[in-house]
Amino acid sequence: MSLVSLRLQKEIKMDTPAVDSQRVDRNRPLIRISDFDFSYGDKQALFDINMDIAEHKVTAFIGPSGCGKSTLLRCLNRMNDLIESARINRGKVEVNGVDIYDERVDATELRKRIGMVFQKSNPFPKSIYENVIYGLRIQGIKKKSQLDETVERCLKGAALWEEVKDRLDTSGLSLSGGQQQRLCIARAMAVGPEVLLMDEPCSALDPVATAKIEELIHELKNDYTIVIVTHNMQQAARVSDQTAFFYMGNLIEMNATDQIFMSPDKEQTEAYISGRFG
Amino acid sequence: MDKRSFKSRYQLACNRKSFLGLTRESALKGLFGGNAFVSIVVLGLITLFLFKEGAGFFGQYRDSLLLYRQSGLEYVELMRGQQNALSALTRYLNSIRSRQVEKLAEEGYDFQESRAITEESEDFFYDFEDLAVPLREHVIEANEILSAARDSYQEMQNLSEHRKSLLESGRQDEADALEIREIDFALFFDIVKSRESEYIEINENLIRGIEEILPSVPYFGDAELQAKTERFKELAEMFIEEVSKFEENVLAWERARSVPISEAFTSFIFGKKWVTNSSIQDWYGLIPLMSGSFLVALVAMFFAVPLGIGAAIYVNQVARSLERDLIKPYIEFISAIPSVVIGFFGIAVFGTLIREVSGWESLAWIDFFPISERLNAFTAGGLLALMAIPTIFTLAEDALNNVPLSYKEASMAMGSTRLQTILRIIVPTALSGIISAVLLGFGRVIGETMVVLLCAGNRIEIPRFAEGIGVVFEPVHTMTGIIAQELGEVVHGSMHYRALFMVGLVLFLISLLINYFAQKIVMKFQISRG
Repeated sequence: MSLVSLRLQKEIKMDTPAVDSQRVDRNRPLIRISDFDFSYGDKQALFDINMDIAEHKVTAFIGPSGCGKSTLLRCLNRMNDLIESARINRGKVEVNGVDIYDERVDATELRKRIGMVFQKSNPFPKSIYENVIYGLRIQGIKKKSQLDETVERCLKGAALWEEVKDRLDTSGLSLSGGQQQRLCIARAMAVGPEVLLMDEPCSALDPVATAKIEELIHELKNDYTIVIVTHNMQQAARVSDQTAFFYMGNLIEMNATDQIFMSPDKEQTEAYISGRFG
Repeated sequence: MDKRSFKSRYQLACNRKSFLGLTRESALKGLFGGNAFVSIVVLGLITLFLFKEGAGFFGQYRDSLLLYRQSGLEYVELMRGQQNALSALTRYLNSIRSRQVEKLAEEGYDFQESRAITEESEDFFYDFEDLAVPLREHVIEANEILSAARDSYQEMQNLSEHRKSLLESGRQDEADALEIREIDFALFFDIVKSRESEYIEINENLIRGIEEILPSVPYFGDAELQAKTERFKELAEMFIEEVSKFEENVLAWERARSVPISEAFTSFIFGKKWVTNSSIQDWYGLIPLMSGSFLVALVAMFFAVPLGIGAAIYVNQVARSLERDLIKPYIEFISAIPSVVIGFFGIAVFGTLIREVSGWESLAWIDFFPISERLNAFTAGGLLALMAIPTIFTLAEDALNNVPLSYKEASMAMGSTRLQTILRIIVPTALSGIISAVLLGFGRVIGETMVVLLCAGNRIEIPRFAEGIGVVFEPVHTMTGIIAQELGEVVHGSMHYRALFMVGLVLFLISLLINYFAQKIVMKFQISRG
């Protein structure tokens, strides 16, 4: 682990509200993106993004398909490292003041702090129990009591415990779509992140399952900073505190959610929200 | 008529072009269906042909074994077993003697001096060798009588065949002129059997002789030679004990016992000897060939599995796209090299290289080095690995490719490293696909012919597995190799010919089984994805 990532870890720990919630300024940005240009090969995907993401808020990214919102989300925990042609041309992403693209930052350490839930639920072909503790297993934790405790805590946190507590050793793939997605959230929580990135977590779910996830997001807000990408504007309006509208790789407007949906500053935003394009 | 000239849209649809009563669609369907049909029929014909040609084998083999028993040659073989045990003992003694001479030469004694020193052990050796003479002569005499009977029996068989064909072509006179005698094996065997008391006496003398001579085993000051002589004493005492067992078997042997067909079957499947064109009896035992085939295949898999799977993991999970575009076609190209070229390379380069490397001083601590044979199971296995790698690589890479990208992403997003992701998620998920890749690679290796024929050494003997890992450096023969080597030279329809077909049938069954299990595993793999 590099020096910077140690520092990063330390700083995040020091600022963890669970330790000292009184003192923390709830509006201070946890993540700051400045002058950020990003491209896949020759194709530039993000242009000059500047954005602050506040701690313990839900931030929604909205915009038409291909507008770069998922790309930006994946830049926040360096998932784009997996794509060979991905390149940052300019600018930086800071978490608690640490540039996460500094070469001394350990990406795996970063991803333990910034968890992610994907569009399509993707539990591993293992038991429910093993799915939840996967993050701990790779850290080499073997203590049975700690693993059991984590499974119960995270499944309860993801509002799944009551439904699966009697069949923890059945395959994660045997669950329904909505349950699978909540299992993935539980799995992401088990690692103990501060931030949860959600990439259209409800797009493959029916309305009932969606409602459950949205309810869950509301509850998770107390412990996590959440960034959610969504196509569903009602969902953005329901769950988020602030909303960012993207179009063609540009951040058009970012503001408090009420503000964006009631009286957007930009004409494009209004056109999109009112359904005139996209 | 008038109505037909009116072309409605409905009528156009009925006017499709057809040729010989076939529309274009049904012709295409027929073409492709026909192709599939032809391949199935060909496969069926091959199976049928193998069965048909092989099926007569067991009958013929049983007849041959029956003749072997009735002629009494089996009886002689039992005595010969005892004789062979005795000569093994003599050979061991001989090796002590030559080691002694060698040592003396190393210590700088000249010929005369060493002669004087070895005189005592020399005498002992000759005395011991003399003990073996009566038994050997007894065996030779018995063998001569009985094989003479067997030979004339076969001659009469041939004559009666000839007579039959003469009669069929209507040449009665010539047929009558043939003089065909009945050979009664019992007469000949009784002569041999009547001398059984001699055999018992020989054994008594042999035991007495060894017991008398054993205390006078020469004493060597040298520790190594002394250890060997002690070992010799042990072996000699073991032999004395065995004599009564041999004798018991010989006396209990019955000429009239029949040979059931199952015996022909078991002596093929579990037979430990493959001996052809022998003057006494031909043996068609599968074990030496099968163990050779599997030994070579194991060596090949030992190299091909880690290399093939490792390369697949690298290309699929780690390599950049440029590397992937380079490595993949290269590995797949290996399978395009004709196997005879690989075999050629094995003879010319690889075998020699292995033997030279095994002669290095720095490797002398390995107890089976240096090796004596250039062409052995290891040489063939190493080259076969080269041929199995593309199969394993391609199929394993496919299996890895089938693992959804989302698994990898999910694992990485939880802060696992690339290695952890590969070992804990990707490989376990693709495991059944990888296993079936390995199985198919194994099938490829078992069925490969040219390389083993050229490079395996072609010694038809069961490898000495008891010697541990050094067994891989022994020359072996294989099921595929023996077919390729012998089928061209055997008489059509003979027992030997049919035996080779049975070997082919066994090979066919093995690869059928391997493919079946590979398919099963792949199916399980697809279901578990569900």
